[in-house]
Formats: sequence, structure tokens, C-alpha cells
Amino acid sequence: MSPSPFPYPIRWRLLDAAEAVADRLWPRRLARHTGWLLVSPALLLVGLLVIGMIQITDASLHTLDRATFRPAPGLTLDNYRTILAQGVYGTIAWRSLLAAMLVTGLTLALAFPYAYAMVRTRRPWVRKALLIALFLPFFIGQVVRAYGWLIILGNNGIVNDALGLVGVEPLRLLFNYWAVVFGLVQYMLPFAVLMLAPALTAIPEEIETAAGSLGADWLRTLWHVVLPMARPGLVGAGLVVFTLTLTDFAMPAILGGGSQDFIANAIYDQFFRTSDQGLGSALTVVLVAAGSLMVGAIFAVFGAGTLALGARR
Amino acid sequence: MTKITRTTAISRRGILRGSAALGGAALLAAVPGRALWAAEPEKPAELIIRAWGGSWVAALQKGVSDPFTAATGIAIRHDLTEDNEIQPKVWAAVEQGRVPPIHINWDTTVNATKSALRGVTEDLSDLPNLAGTTDLAKPVGLEGFPIVNTYGYVYVLAYRPEAFPDGAPTSWRDLLDPRLKGRIAFYNDGIGLHFPAQVAGGGTLDGIPDAMQPAWDFVTELKAQEPLLGEDPDFTTWFQNGEIDAACTISTNAREARLNGLDIAWTVPAEGAKFDTDGLWIPKGLPENELYWAKQYINYALTPEAQQVWLDGLGLPGVVPGLTPPADLAGGDASYPTTPADFEKLIRVSNAIQVENQSDWFAQFKAIMQG
Repeated sequence: MSPSPFPYPIRWRLLDAAEAVADRLWPRRLARHTGWLLVSPALLLVGLLVIGMIQITDASLHTLDRATFRPAPGLTLDNYRTILAQGVYGTIAWRSLLAAMLVTGLTLALAFPYAYAMVRTRRPWVRKALLIALFLPFFIGQVVRAYGWLIILGNNGIVNDALGLVGVEPLRLLFNYWAVVFGLVQYMLPFAVLMLAPALTAIPEEIETAAGSLGADWLRTLWHVVLPMARPGLVGAGLVVFTLTLTDFAMPAILGGGSQDFIANAIYDQFFRTSDQGLGSALTVVLVAAGSLMVGAIFAVFGAGTLALGARR
Repeated sequence: MTKITRTTAISRRGILRGSAALGGAALLAAVPGRALWAAEPEKPAELIIRAWGGSWVAALQKGVSDPFTAATGIAIRHDLTEDNEIQPKVWAAVEQGRVPPIHINWDTTVNATKSALRGVTEDLSDLPNLAGTTDLAKPVGLEGFPIVNTYGYVYVLAYRPEAFPDGAPTSWRDLLDPRLKGRIAFYNDGIGLHFPAQVAGGGTLDGIPDAMQPAWDFVTELKAQEPLLGEDPDFTTWFQNGEIDAACTISTNAREARLNGLDIAWTVPAEGAKFDTDGLWIPKGLPENELYWAKQYINYALTPEAQQVWLDGLGLPGVVPGLTPPADLAGGDASYPTTPADFEKLIRVSNAIQVENQSDWFAQFKAIMQG
């Protein structure tokens, strides 16, 4: 390259070089396909998932040959018949679904005021404190947090120690359904707040002021103005919390004391305890199908919320 | 029906035969490996041994891995992936013709039998030190030695003496005492409980596996006691945290809690307790030299000196005659059976029956406990 008489900034030169490289890798004649190029990583990811699901569906159609611990060659629906015939899977599925609904409702109820306070506060230090409190748990994995609750809520834990000070006998706070729900709500709260905050930020504060100036008290403003306008955030956060809870493994395993399994725990048992990959695969297909149907129903009724990224329903 | 017995695996004849072989084994162990094997192939930088964590891996390291490294210069890496979770990885690797992720799997004999039936295990019949082992080392119902059993263990009834002021529980039915509600624990797949439950529920061992309703009736009674269900590390933790007063668990877990300073005892109730074995096996697909050294590791694990230190750590009886029980288990401890009389109290079911029926038993147990 001949030296230019004009002293271009180095930044311009770098951009020119980058453009030249991009032009070699993706010539201009392919420009009309650039959209496909950008979406290709997503297609690759989804494609891998689809291939995996095809393989899992295929595995679900083979029973386990216990003489060789290999899948029997014939195709059969026996694994699905087993799921329908054994009531325990119905119990576990209902428990998972109920927990997903409970955790979603409770998490949104707690996340909304938190996100609202974080967005609307006029004191920067309060916003920072709320953000730090929100992000700190992200640095601690789900398993570690669950073990933290074992320490706090155990028979010899802090809570029972405090109760002992006022003469209350130790209570069994762990290893039941409500302990699992509690742990999940605490785990899901940051996800919900992070999804709600942008939706609340998008609501101009002046609209609330206008509602107040027209005579609405804070409750009516909340009910008729803020909540409807925050619906995309509520739906998006609800979808994320619902699906994560429905497929959760660690909280039921750690806080459930072994008797509060969710579907993911039942799948684990079949893959890793009984070596029955066919039955495990069938349970996986059922979980994916049930989860997809539920999410599809929510999309149909409420729209995709913030997950639609501004697109119309 | 002869498939289920109050175990006689360590018969008098077996002990005598093993003792006679001990002299030969000692000689074999004293001879350097290169004299026993045709040629000594290139040493790998390390061998990867899948192991259970906590006191389990500490005992293996002290008794087998460290001395093996000192003797051969081959580093040993312990992979603490759960035995159930490494199994599909090894199966997939063998299926796809890849080198498996571990050199040796320290596994339950029941799990290992599944791998042997699937055909992913190397034959270990040519290990010289097998000559010095008792009948217990041989997996029952399998051709050759796809697995080498390395010790036995008992699923004892472990308890806090403080919670049983009238003395040790004498029956599994003692766990139905209302004051123990929410204070008892079992394995989350019911392993260890099924067979004594069959007796405690009014059935007989001959009813396994075809007539096990008494076992499920007793498990249903236990369910009303709201038991905790977990895995090995959970029992130690629950005892330490004061969450439970009694548990059906491998004695090693209770002993670990006791060595940590807790007041824990254990017993074999009148109905008996399950006796089973763990073993070592090598997955197919290793390079020849690594296979050779993996076999050498298992061969070393069968020497009296390795067994003595390893199993002192675990508090379990080995497969080599003449081992000395650890001081805290000497004097006929229920968890350390050595004589035929000790084994009379225990229940041993063939691995073939366990492997064939494990999924059904698991499903039954889950159906009751998750209901």
C-alpha cells in the first residue's frame, strides 16, 4: 500500500483493513444472504437440539434388554405405556407442574416490587445496593445456594437456633415440598427481576404522574396503568421462571430429601440408576412435549412478552 | 431354591483354600511385575481411577494408589464422577470405538455386572494375585473375571445410641416407632433395604424376586415414618447435623461419622442385613500399554499389604485371607464379618438376580416413596 498524503487516523485504517478482510470472507455479491449468515449460529444450535431430540425420540422407542443392557432392536411404545401405567410418573409430573405454577406466581409477586423500586428510586446508592443484592446470588451456583439453605434451615441451623432462644423446639423446615418451592423462588428471583426491569424502565414515569393528577391513587395507578404496561415483562419473566422450574433438578434433589422428585429427577434415575435409557428418553420426550405445549398456550393467550423483542403477537 | 442364601460366600473351605493360596500370593507379590508378565510396555504418565469421594478415595489413595505410584512412577488421578454417571460415558466410548475416559472403574458389583453383560469389560483372569484371594473376589454368575471383587460390605442399621436409651434396635421394625417419625433415612433407590424388608414384612428370602409383596408392605409402613432418602455422603451429613437418628447405610458412612467424633453405633437386626461387594474393572478400548498397567494396578490392589491399608480406611473385610480388622472394629463387629457364623446373619442375593430385577425393585420403591 502506497503511503497516503493525508494523515488518516489509525482507527480509520484499521476499519478499512477490517472491511477488506470482511469483503474477502463474505463478498459483496452475497450481501442479500447476510441475514442468513447472522442467523446461522442460531440455526446451528437449534439444529443440534433437533438432532438430539430425534435421537432421544428414537431411543424412547426401544425397551431395555436386561440380558445385554442394550436397547432391544424392535420399535415399540412400551416405554410410553410404562409411563402411563405407573402412577408414580403422574404424581411426579403433577408435582413438577404445580411447583412451576406456584414458583412463577410467587416469584413474580416478589420480583415486581423489587424491580419497580430499583427502576424508580431517585437515590443512586439504593439502586446500586439493589443491583448488588440482585447480582451477588448469580456468582453462587444453584447447588451451593441449596446447600446454604441446608445450613440455614437445618435442625441445627440458624433459624432453629433462633427459635430455640424463644423456647420453640426444632422444626423440620427442610426435606419437604415447601422447602423445594422456597429454594426455587429464591433461585428464580434474580432472573425475574432482570427480565422485569427493562419493561418497567420503558414505562414513562410521567404516565403515572398523569394518572395521579387525574385522581387515581397509587393502587389504581398500579392496577390500571403500571401492571398492564408491564405485561410484556411479566409474561417474559413468567415464561423463563416457569420453564426453568418445570425442568429443575438440583433443588428437589437437595431440599426435597429424596421424596419430592420432579420430572428431571425421574429422568436422571432412568438414565443413571437403572441404565434404562429408553424409559429415560420417553420421559424426556414427555417433558419436552408438555413444556412446549404449556409455553405455546401461554404464547397464545398472553403473547411472548419481552421475549418477542418488540414484535407484534 | 438355592439362588438366595444366608450367605456362605466365605465358607470354611474357601478360607482354608484362600489361606493355602496366600503363601503363593505372597511370593507372587514379592516378584517384580516384569518377571510375571512377558514384557513391560511403556508406562503411561498417569492412570485414571474412578472412585467415590471422602473417606472412600482417601483410603484407596493411601492403600493402593500412592504405593503403586511409588513402585512404578505412574501417577494416579482419581475421577470422582459418580459410578452411575460414568457408566453411560464408558458405554458410549466403547460403543463408538473411542478410548474410554477412565482406566479403572471402582464400582459396585451389581453395576459392574451390567457393564460385563454389555460386553465392555476386559477379562482379568490373568492377574497373578487372584491366586491368593478368597471366593469373594470372583463375581458370581459371570464367565471369567470381568470384574474383581475387592471387599464386601454390610448395609447395617446405624443409629445414634442417645436416641435408643433402651439399647440397640433389634429389628428393622423398631424403625416404625412413632418417635422416629422423620428421623430415619434410607438410600434413595432402596438399595440395602429390600431384602431385610422382605423378612421384616413377614416374607421369606425364598420369595425374592417372585413374591416380594411383604417387602413392599414393610416399605409402605416405613413411608408413613417420612424417611429421608439420600446417597452415601448424605447419611454422614445427616447424622452430623442431627437430622436423623437411624439409617440403613453402608457401615463405612456411619464409621466416618463416628471417626468425626459423633456417637454412632450400628447393628445387624434379627431379620438380617444385606451383604454385597464392590470391585474393580477395566473398560475395553484402552491402548495395550495402558491396559497392561491398569491390570497391574488391580493386581497390586489384591496384595495383602494394599488390602490391609485400603480396607483399614474403609473398615471393611477384604478378599485376601489373614487381614487384621482395624482396632475399632476388632472383636466381631457386625460390619466386619469374617467367620461363617458372622455371615449367617447376613443376606446375600446373587448379582444376576439383582441385575435382572433392580429396575423393578427401584420402580416399586419409588412408587411407594414418591406417592
